[in-house]
Amino acid sequence: MANKPKIKELLDESSCAHNKTRKTACNAPTPGATTGGCAFEGAQISLFPYADAAHLVHGPMTCLGSSWETRATGTSYTGRDLTQMGFTTDITVNDVVFSGEEKVAASIDYIMEHYSPEAVFVYATCVTAMIGDDIDLLCKQASDRHDIPVVPVHAPGFVGSKNLGSRLGGEAALAHLIGTKEPEKTTNFDINLIGEYNVTGDMWQYTPLLEELGIRVLSTLSGDGRVAPICTAHRAKLNVIVCAKSLVSLTRKMEERYGIPSISLSFYGRRDTSNGLLAIAEGLGDAGLIKRTKRLITREEMKLTEKLKPYQKFFKGKKAVLNTGGNKTWSIAAALQDLGIEVVATAVKKATEDDREKARETLGKHGVLMMNPGIEQAKIIDETGADLLLAGGRSLYTAIKKGIAFADVNQEKKKSYGGYAGLLNLAEDLKNALQNPVFKNVARRAPWEK
Amino acid sequence: MGEVIHKRHKPLQVNPFKLSQPMGATLAFLGIDGCMPLMHGGQGCTSFTKVFFTRHFCEPIAIQTTAVTDAIAVLDGGNYSIVESVKNITKKVTPSLIGLHTTGLPETKGDDIRGVAAQIDYPLIYVNTPDYEGSFESGWALTCKALIEQLVESTETIDDNKLILLPHISLQPIEVEKIKEFIEGFGFNVFVLPDLSTSLDGHLGDKQAALSSGGITVAEIRRLADAGLVITVGDSMQGCATVLQKKNSEMRHQHFSHLQGLEATDALAALLLTETGFSGPPLPVARWRQRMQDAMLDSHFSLGQTRFLVAAEPDHIAGICQSLYDAGGKVTLAISTIDSPQLEKIKAEKVLVGDLEDAEQMADDYDLIVGNFHCEALAHRLHKGLVLRGFPNWEQVGNPLKNDVLYEGGAYFLFECANAATEMRGRQTG
Repeated sequence: MANKPKIKELLDESSCAHNKTRKTACNAPTPGATTGGCAFEGAQISLFPYADAAHLVHGPMTCLGSSWETRATGTSYTGRDLTQMGFTTDITVNDVVFSGEEKVAASIDYIMEHYSPEAVFVYATCVTAMIGDDIDLLCKQASDRHDIPVVPVHAPGFVGSKNLGSRLGGEAALAHLIGTKEPEKTTNFDINLIGEYNVTGDMWQYTPLLEELGIRVLSTLSGDGRVAPICTAHRAKLNVIVCAKSLVSLTRKMEERYGIPSISLSFYGRRDTSNGLLAIAEGLGDAGLIKRTKRLITREEMKLTEKLKPYQKFFKGKKAVLNTGGNKTWSIAAALQDLGIEVVATAVKKATEDDREKARETLGKHGVLMMNPGIEQAKIIDETGADLLLAGGRSLYTAIKKGIAFADVNQEKKKSYGGYAGLLNLAEDLKNALQNPVFKNVARRAPWEK
Repeated sequence: MGEVIHKRHKPLQVNPFKLSQPMGATLAFLGIDGCMPLMHGGQGCTSFTKVFFTRHFCEPIAIQTTAVTDAIAVLDGGNYSIVESVKNITKKVTPSLIGLHTTGLPETKGDDIRGVAAQIDYPLIYVNTPDYEGSFESGWALTCKALIEQLVESTETIDDNKLILLPHISLQPIEVEKIKEFIEGFGFNVFVLPDLSTSLDGHLGDKQAALSSGGITVAEIRRLADAGLVITVGDSMQGCATVLQKKNSEMRHQHFSHLQGLEATDALAALLLTETGFSGPPLPVARWRQRMQDAMLDSHFSLGQTRFLVAAEPDHIAGICQSLYDAGGKVTLAISTIDSPQLEKIKAEKVLVGDLEDAEQMADDYDLIVGNFHCEALAHRLHKGLVLRGFPNWEQVGNPLKNDVLYEGGAYFLFECANAATEMRGRQTG
């Protein structure tokens, strides 16, 4: 059990801003009043994109049955993309009574025989953690048997939230993969991308720019990821955390163990993308690189401005209300501003203190930070004459009642809004939303209604 | 019929399309008006379920979790998290009913939810649905049974005009409505349990709903026992009728394995004619039967040269296979999520309990797949035709309005399959 991460320590993460002000970090969920995913989901999200690894979920059917093939994490892997496959022991009452350990061992052997992955991740879940199946031992034995990493992931749902689960996923990678292999070569400009999962190909919006600058992505956790590179991650010069609070424990430990400094940034919108590229160059500390990066930023921003021109007139004077959570509270706001849309309010109910600060910075002193968006947003739309509501599906009614355009920010997106090019996708989608007469048309009264 | 393999032969499931029992229970509770389904387990089960149905129906889904954590899991017999949940839910909304259903976690530690439910002074129905047993279909059926046992009031009087319909889980909202209307056409007053046809049928309501908006009401469920006849559709639902008859021994029961295809629809029409003594059906029914006959002939050429894989819940497979078989479609392989007595009756050359890896390994046996969203990658990789059916369908919109049942839906379904097969062959030769 020595390898099991200590959950209390992870919750007391010293790199987390809120731990300076609050005693309980990521508080326990309230029965009957909780939304959001569990630790298992978080771990799955952080590790699933390794396309050449198999992900075996040791649990009953809910865990994997409702969660596989749900995230459009792009991969350039030319072999069979194992992330879009589901493997589960689908335990039965028999396993609950007599243990499911035999099934785990047999399942790993089956996977090796049929798919020969580079690694196998084995996820504990509530039931199998509770009945005490020893996946540490099973993984070790399987690893010896097959001579590949077989990584136990201890993030059963009941230990906490999705965020904690992502940390636990990071811990598993740190304990079993990172530092187990030496890279063939190293350069002075090697970085790890941490917390970038390449959903809808987000990272491909900016990795070509990194490449052009001579910055090499040594490994990722775990967007477009492979097993071999993450094993060499300890040789990177810089850890780049992309839009994810959850993996700060991992990067702090990598700094302590391997002396790798880390920076946290986002590639959402023009300003964030430019700032992000520059921050990486500065983090690598090479004067020539910084100069080259500035030149590239100028060039890309000019290109973008040119391409956004047709939209400028359209978005001029348009106002938006944003109702979302987490880093989206400010990152989407910034992107909207980049398009010339005024963000009059953003919801911060489901945001960390860090996010709230950033939201305040982004919106300026006149912007409203909504603590109770469900009630506030309708009023704000009236007061400001907003043209667009960006929110989750439940808010659709508000938009229809107010007769303004609506965009679902929680919808599984099909195309990337990341980097410079992604902003054009966002512009096109918002233009379509604003031009769409549907929100006014469906609000028509039926002839039999007064 | 053909060969039937009732047991999985592997230690694991690879690319599963089986869904869990608690998810079936959730959906059943969503067919009750003003209900708040409360899933007893870790928060993730609920979150996954909510996202799953939200994407399938394109509607907000009402559901809450008891959010069991590791500390509670060890120390508590379920009391704390359930009692707290009810308190917290009723602080914000006033459900007509709370639908408590379990997952594997509390069942493993043996929570006494019946005991807890007895302590709660709020309308609440409990049902044990561990996800290491049964599947989607059985979760729905168990919930229906629990609703009858715990809500329906016993009586000895009979209203011969009143009819209860108990549909299996794979019937989409519009299909439930069409069956209801078909029976109503013969003059019956029909009540459906659970009734998705007015809750998750994808209607724009007046306001955002924090609870299920539509479905059978709790008051209607309480008074079900005086119905003269109960009709079950799907073998998973047969047991529910028995429980209902315990509330009134005078109630009669008629069972249909499914309501797809000419023969099954004829049987329903025949029953309703006998019950009413009518000499013929309402005009539209007769007209739709003629259209269905025509559809079978129009589609037989394409279907007759097509080999099908049908992957679904047992009751759903039974209907789909019969419908295809009647018009000459050859179902060479049917894969079921779980074992069921239904499997022995399925019109297919081979029936097995399995997963989509099995489907992939037997890819030479079929040309067109009828199955859920997870079959899409398979169809794409193997260049097969695809007709999306079952839960989930995250690829298309309009799922609640897909109608495959009775004469009318049967005609639509055959056309869709025949056209998909023709299009597939065009792609392959073109």
